[in-house]
Amino acid sequence: MALQLNLLHEQISEERQRRRDPLKLGIIALCAFGAILFLYYGWKVYQTLQIKSQLRAAQSEWAKVEPKVTAAQKRADELHKIIDGTKVLDGLIESRFYWAPLLATLSHCVAPNIQLISFDGTFTDGNKPIALLVEGIAAAREPRGAAEEFRQLLMEQLAKNYSDVKVDFRNLEDLDTVVKLAGVPTASARFVLNVSFSPTPPAPSAATPAASATPAPEIKK
Amino acid sequence: MKSTKLNKDQIQKIILSSLGFIALIYCYFTFFLGPLDRSRGTMAQQIADLQGKSASSRTELKKTSNLERQAKDATTHYDALKATTAEGAPIAWFPPKMRKFFAAQEIDKASARLESSSSFKQPELSDWVKDTWVIDLPLADYDALGKAIAQLENTEPLLAVQKLVIHAVPEEAQFQQVTLTAQTTLFAP
Repeated sequence: MALQLNLLHEQISEERQRRRDPLKLGIIALCAFGAILFLYYGWKVYQTLQIKSQLRAAQSEWAKVEPKVTAAQKRADELHKIIDGTKVLDGLIESRFYWAPLLATLSHCVAPNIQLISFDGTFTDGNKPIALLVEGIAAAREPRGAAEEFRQLLMEQLAKNYSDVKVDFRNLEDLDTVVKLAGVPTASARFVLNVSFSPTPPAPSAATPAASATPAPEIKK
Repeated sequence: MKSTKLNKDQIQKIILSSLGFIALIYCYFTFFLGPLDRSRGTMAQQIADLQGKSASSRTELKKTSNLERQAKDATTHYDALKATTAEGAPIAWFPPKMRKFFAAQEIDKASARLESSSSFKQPELSDWVKDTWVIDLPLADYDALGKAIAQLENTEPLLAVQKLVIHAVPEEAQFQQVTLTAQTTLFAP
């Protein structure tokens, strides 16, 4: 076997050392990795730009829609206010008490021998009963009976249109003065009626109530 | 046999390379990719918000359009009720209006005075006020009075008579002295 001598041992060793220089290898690896990261970064930038353009489109669309929406919301609030306001106003209108039919009913109850001298009616709201004070003079052979007839007729007539009708004498007194009724001197009595009723129409079964059992007060002399 | 043992210089270079690598990674994520991701996330969130708002606004527009159709009657009615209030202070136009109204019903010398004025408790009527008026009719025929009150109740929907006092006039048997307390609901924006 021939002897082989490596005379360039040192040079080859240096070359080998240079090749596997960790710094050089590290720099190469770093550059390669940096290039990959750069490409990845470029891809991300591209995605970001795409999203940015989408955002710009969405913003421009919203800029077009927003004034319309604001105006629509304002209008919707107005409309809600109008609808609610109208409901409440309608409630106020419907809960009013109509006095003209009551005056008509009252006038139909007044016989020729009855003269009303005062009427005082109060209506506060739809839930509370209406209170009336009716003052008048009844003239007849039995003036107290005429006053009672008027009371019963008034109650009967009111019960046709209203509920919870109460007609009571507050006062009934014979008068000393004699009035002429169709040229005939007739005894008279002054009466004051307390009337109260609810403005709601009566229930069908309660349309014809029985006459009040309230007795006439004692004669005041 | 090849020697794989690293010398001191090589170890230093490896450590230096590792440090460079760590610094590169840190800079990359902290100063490049991080902000980019954050801004992309923010923009995606903004897009989602805007799309959500756009979708809800389209629904809102549709709802308002439907509401407008539904509220057509209410709006007309509301405008008609508003029109019952004349321009200017009520004290300036309401008494002459009542005088004119009762004169047309053959009841002369009517006078009206403002007793009180207040606002409504209901929030829906924040633009409305209630005024209470005392209307005096010194000489009124009963029939004419009944007709006038009926006419008043029918033509003035926002007027409610709360108190009615009628007294016979001793000297004029066919006439009555009447006092009406009426509450008006007036538009006062």
